Amino acid sequence: MTSGLPLLPVYLVDFFGSSLMILLAILAAVRARRLTLLDPESVLWSYLFWLSMALVAFALSRSIGHILRFILILAGFPQVWRLLAPYSGGFNSLTFVAVAVLTFYFYNVHGVLERIRQDARKISSAHAQLEAAHGDLRKLNQTLEERVEARTKELAISEEKFRRLFEGSKDMIFFSDSTARVSDINDGGLDLLGYEDRGAVVGVPLPTLFAEEESWSRFYCELNATGHVKDFEAEFLRRDGSRLYLMMTATAIFDENRRLKACQAIAKDMTRFREVTAQLIRSEYMASIGQLAAGVAHEINTPLGIILGYTQLLKEDFEGQHEVFETLAIVEKQARVCKRIVADLLKFSRHSVEGAMGPADINGCLEEVLAVVEHTLNMDHISVERHFAQGLPSIVVDKERLRQVFMNMINNAHHAIGSEGTVGLWTRLDAHCRTVEIVIADSGSGIPPEVIGRIFDPFFTTKGVDKGTGLGLSVSFGIIKDHGGQIDAYSPPRDPALVAAGMRTAFVITLPVEGGEQAAGDL
Amino acid sequence: MSCGKAESIRHGHGTRWAAASALAAAAVHPPTVLAVQVHGAPEGLYVHQMAHVLFAAALLFLLYILHYRPIGSGTAWRFFKLSILFFLAWNIDAFVVHWLALGLSEEYFVGGPLLAQRLAGPIDAERLVYYLGRFDHLLCLPAMYFLIRSLDLFSREALDRRREGKAQGP
Repeated sequence: MTSGLPLLPVYLVDFFGSSLMILLAILAAVRARRLTLLDPESVLWSYLFWLSMALVAFALSRSIGHILRFILILAGFPQVWRLLAPYSGGFNSLTFVAVAVLTFYFYNVHGVLERIRQDARKISSAHAQLEAAHGDLRKLNQTLEERVEARTKELAISEEKFRRLFEGSKDMIFFSDSTARVSDINDGGLDLLGYEDRGAVVGVPLPTLFAEEESWSRFYCELNATGHVKDFEAEFLRRDGSRLYLMMTATAIFDENRRLKACQAIAKDMTRFREVTAQLIRSEYMASIGQLAAGVAHEINTPLGIILGYTQLLKEDFEGQHEVFETLAIVEKQARVCKRIVADLLKFSRHSVEGAMGPADINGCLEEVLAVVEHTLNMDHISVERHFAQGLPSIVVDKERLRQVFMNMINNAHHAIGSEGTVGLWTRLDAHCRTVEIVIADSGSGIPPEVIGRIFDPFFTTKGVDKGTGLGLSVSFGIIKDHGGQIDAYSPPRDPALVAAGMRTAFVITLPVEGGEQAAGDL
Repeated sequence: MSCGKAESIRHGHGTRWAAASALAAAAVHPPTVLAVQVHGAPEGLYVHQMAHVLFAAALLFLLYILHYRPIGSGTAWRFFKLSILFFLAWNIDAFVVHWLALGLSEEYFVGGPLLAQRLAGPIDAERLVYYLGRFDHLLCLPAMYFLIRSLDLFSREALDRRREGKAQGP
């Protein structure tokens, strides 16, 4: 290749290549511009745009230089080209530097932006986590609120339920504090104790409510020792001084040192139950006594009849012998006394009404008895107060035997008073129980508590010798029992109105109303 | 005024006179003043070659970044890398051609008018490399082509992202 190489191909490629470079550089710049418009915040697109712009400048400076070279040389102005060539080359150099600077700068900016973007992503992630946590917290809060609301509602319902139980209970419910003073008590408790104002009971020492100090001591010791007391029987003092028989169940509340901090107790009024139980026991007792009396009376009655018969025969035989006759008369008299006692015993023990049963006006019966005894009572300055209810229904009774009962009662009242006093008679209808209640009360000395349980026993009497056989109340008890009724003695009377009237003892006779539709007006 | 002080003033006036004379001499004969740098003929070529080196270094740096810490992936990025590679090759080619051109004087280009010119023989390896290197458009035109293709694909991807409502691009 000594002849050399033609430069025409080189010039042709140079000429057309330069032209194409301009065109392609412009196309690239246009596309890069479009890209930056699509996403103006992208650093890469921005870099590519400015890179393209630098390449456009490069292509223009270089290619125009190359094209001008051919034109100027071919046109015969090579000196002009020589003048322009350094500018073209210099500008080229500048564009290279520009591209390099842009590239290095892009990387740094990209790095910074990438870090910012990472930070932003972290912040965004943290924000998302925070949002999630906030959501969870809100949900938790909402759940908590719902739970609190539900719990509050449950508590309100529970509180209302227990409040109703506390306030509506007819049993006594009370609380005491660490000093054993009543801290709260329900209305039922106030009623049982006879108070109207809660303030009168709250703050009162609990031992003072107990009727017996020994009972309080047992209650407190057991409560302190075991933490609870179950079915503890105690008597409380009512406001009026009467006693309230209670069955208590209590629970102690201790502090961390196991010191009694408070006590809560429920007490059931067993007074009536105890009375009924006592009556039942007495009824059974009286029934067995009656059977015994009947047996004894029956066995004694026959030999007594023989003794009386033979005594009468002997009296006829010894009519002339005054001394013997008098002795036989005494025997006959005492035998008759025995006969009467035996007859009373039989009356007491008899379980069937033998007399004529018929409708009777109770008030009328009482008046008939009073007509007989009132004069005697007045002789001893004993007044009779009548409190008869009007419109009482008729009761089917043995009037004769009922009058005997009333007579016994009034005579007992007379004996209890002695002289100067009041005998009160009350009748009333208990429509709910369909019974008529007859109360015979007196302002006498009253019946001692240790005696009152035995007054219906046969032969029990507090009267002196020869003043009573001790069968009056027993016989009365038997008669009322035969009529399906009941007779109770109270000293002092249970009814405050009777107490207010000055009565010390009251016998309450309760008779069932049979054919209650018949009013007294029908009689 | 003392006699000593007058002497000192006279000495100061002499120094100023000497400095003014040196500046005047420098203005009349610049090459003789060593304090002022002279930019002679080869400096332009050196600057241009250094610019090529800087350009190539920037492209190499970019290639390194895209390879080891890629900003993205896909066809667009492959075209972009191809474009950088062609530009890098063009830079090397241009640098070599400029360097070889230094050794070729006017007498190596023979044949009269421009279009009839030839590279005078004998054609050794150096001249052959120079001759082939002059076809540098065969490197820079593909570089531009691949740049345009990558830009087209970047645009399409950006449009797709916008349509899908995704986050912004790189």
